[in-house]
Amino acid sequence: MSRVMAEDVRSFVLTRLAGPLRAKGLTVQDVPDDFDLLTEGVIDSFGIVELISSVLEAFGSDVDFEDLNAEDLTIIGSFCRYVAEKSVPVNRQ
Amino acid sequence: MKGVRDSNRTLRSGFLRSSEAFPNRPALEVGGEVWSYRRLHDRAASIAATLMRRAAADGPPLTAVFAYRSPTAFAGVLGTLFLGHGYVPLNRNFPASRTRTMLERAGCRALIVDSQSAQQLDHVLDGIERPLLLLLPEVVDVRAIAERWPQHTVLGSGDLEPPEVWEPSGVSPDAIAYLLFTSGSTGVPKGVMVAHRNVVAFVDVMVDRYGIAEEDRFSQMFEMTFDLSVFDMFVAWERGACVCCPSQKTLINPGKFIQEARLTVWFSVPSVGVLMKRLGLLRPNRYPQLKWSLFCGEPLPLEIAQAWSDAASQSVLENLYGPTELTVACAVYRWDRETSASQCEFGVVPIGQPLSEMSTLVVDDALMEVAEGGAGELLMTGPQLTLGYWQDANKTAAAFVVPMGLNKVYYRTGDRVRRPVGDQPLIYLGRLDHQIKIHGHRVELGEVEAALREAGIDAAVALGWPMTSSGAEGIVAFLGDRSADVEAIRERLKRRLPGYMVPSEFHVLNALPLNSNGKVDRKSLLKMLEVSV
Repeated sequence: MSRVMAEDVRSFVLTRLAGPLRAKGLTVQDVPDDFDLLTEGVIDSFGIVELISSVLEAFGSDVDFEDLNAEDLTIIGSFCRYVAEKSVPVNRQ
Repeated sequence: MKGVRDSNRTLRSGFLRSSEAFPNRPALEVGGEVWSYRRLHDRAASIAATLMRRAAADGPPLTAVFAYRSPTAFAGVLGTLFLGHGYVPLNRNFPASRTRTMLERAGCRALIVDSQSAQQLDHVLDGIERPLLLLLPEVVDVRAIAERWPQHTVLGSGDLEPPEVWEPSGVSPDAIAYLLFTSGSTGVPKGVMVAHRNVVAFVDVMVDRYGIAEEDRFSQMFEMTFDLSVFDMFVAWERGACVCCPSQKTLINPGKFIQEARLTVWFSVPSVGVLMKRLGLLRPNRYPQLKWSLFCGEPLPLEIAQAWSDAASQSVLENLYGPTELTVACAVYRWDRETSASQCEFGVVPIGQPLSEMSTLVVDDALMEVAEGGAGELLMTGPQLTLGYWQDANKTAAAFVVPMGLNKVYYRTGDRVRRPVGDQPLIYLGRLDHQIKIHGHRVELGEVEAALREAGIDAAVALGWPMTSSGAEGIVAFLGDRSADVEAIRERLKRRLPGYMVPSEFHVLNALPLNSNGKVDRKSLLKMLEVSV
């Protein structure tokens, strides 16, 4: 299995959030790297929890968030890069 | 500090004493800034002096604080108490209409506002006729707000009186220290009146129990509209300790905050522990500097207590229990690594023993005490028994009762517990009514249903779902009306209710099922959810 790329995580996250993004008049392509899902009102803090749970399920349940600044948790770019970096590919030799 | 204590103390007394004893020690860290006791005292005194000079003298002795995780939030609370008023916390993360209802119901004549919350003022003030004093201590130029709201007096930072002008006026220990609105079953939030003597009694017990000293550093995870925040502020300030207020985002991911703020006292709802465990933030010995790990606000799951006590291995973990009506917390259980697991029922940590001068009674439907080991409703009384509900004698009379054969008023918690045998702890068994906890927030399902009815759906039921050991993940609504426009209803509820009260799912049925009594059959609705999983 290949390494998880930040782009994969981003695509997974934004697909999940397509509905609320549309409600804000945004398409997946419109979302910039420094977009803050919380302050832009795309999800609330409980939504973040649900999102993280599904991301962990999809990309590696061993990721821990101790090294990610609290402020970066809800920023799309930094969040996706962090998950990609910390995910361990299953078949790494 | 134990021993003789002045019986005339009020909620501000501890802070005032600490600001004399430790003027240069940190009282507050918020937004990357450190506020010494002297600085915070002076800001609060300025606010109090300004309100004293400029606010209308009529109306109840209550002032609202519309501020969130900012210096003004804390200085506003203290300034209100310095003035001799009780504070009414408001939260900009709630819908403006809810905030307006609280402000109007409390009858406040003055509102202290921070700069971020000021952006919502137009929505909150819409429709308020009564002239208000709006004090914005962080805002230099308030002309635009003043022009939009000519019926109100708007003051900014330049209008603040110097702190020396403040003269303390006498405050009765029986006066309201804070008025806190909780979810009400009729759709209107209930205001719980907490007297100074209630909260002073609570703070006294806490500082003694935890041996708080000026070196201690407290987390501040709770919103001010949640009464557990009273612990963070006033237990810390009683002994010259520091309150460390994280940003809104840090609430979701607080691992680094615990370490970097060098916290010694942690206090949160168990849901935060659940989330931290999910995020991999509860690895063993992660937080060795913590001395106390305290949880309250919802049932504490056994596995979270175990994981947390491993992560904060040097700390003593306690599970506190208490409704707002009994002043923050009124019972406590100390976790023991070796023996506690065997005392847990349904995977939930016991709620322990009543705090020192509080006493309990476990009763059946007729308010008669059940036998030892039996289950029943928990009633409590003691110095933390509050004054009841603001301007609601009926609700107060229903909840604050004198059981037959006794001569004391007890508060009916609505919680089911197991009456201890011997020195066993009290065991929490669940809610008697339809009040549930969602991520630590108390939610009266009736209030959600009232909002659904207001949105035009007469046959509507709200259920907590999926159920968790500490309450429910969220709310599911059943609408007995095929013509219901779900999206429109959802939007309407979002404007009216905090996010955690808006149902995550809506099920539209032809009609709601009824039971043999002709009441909506909630159990069969729950079964439908179980089957669909």
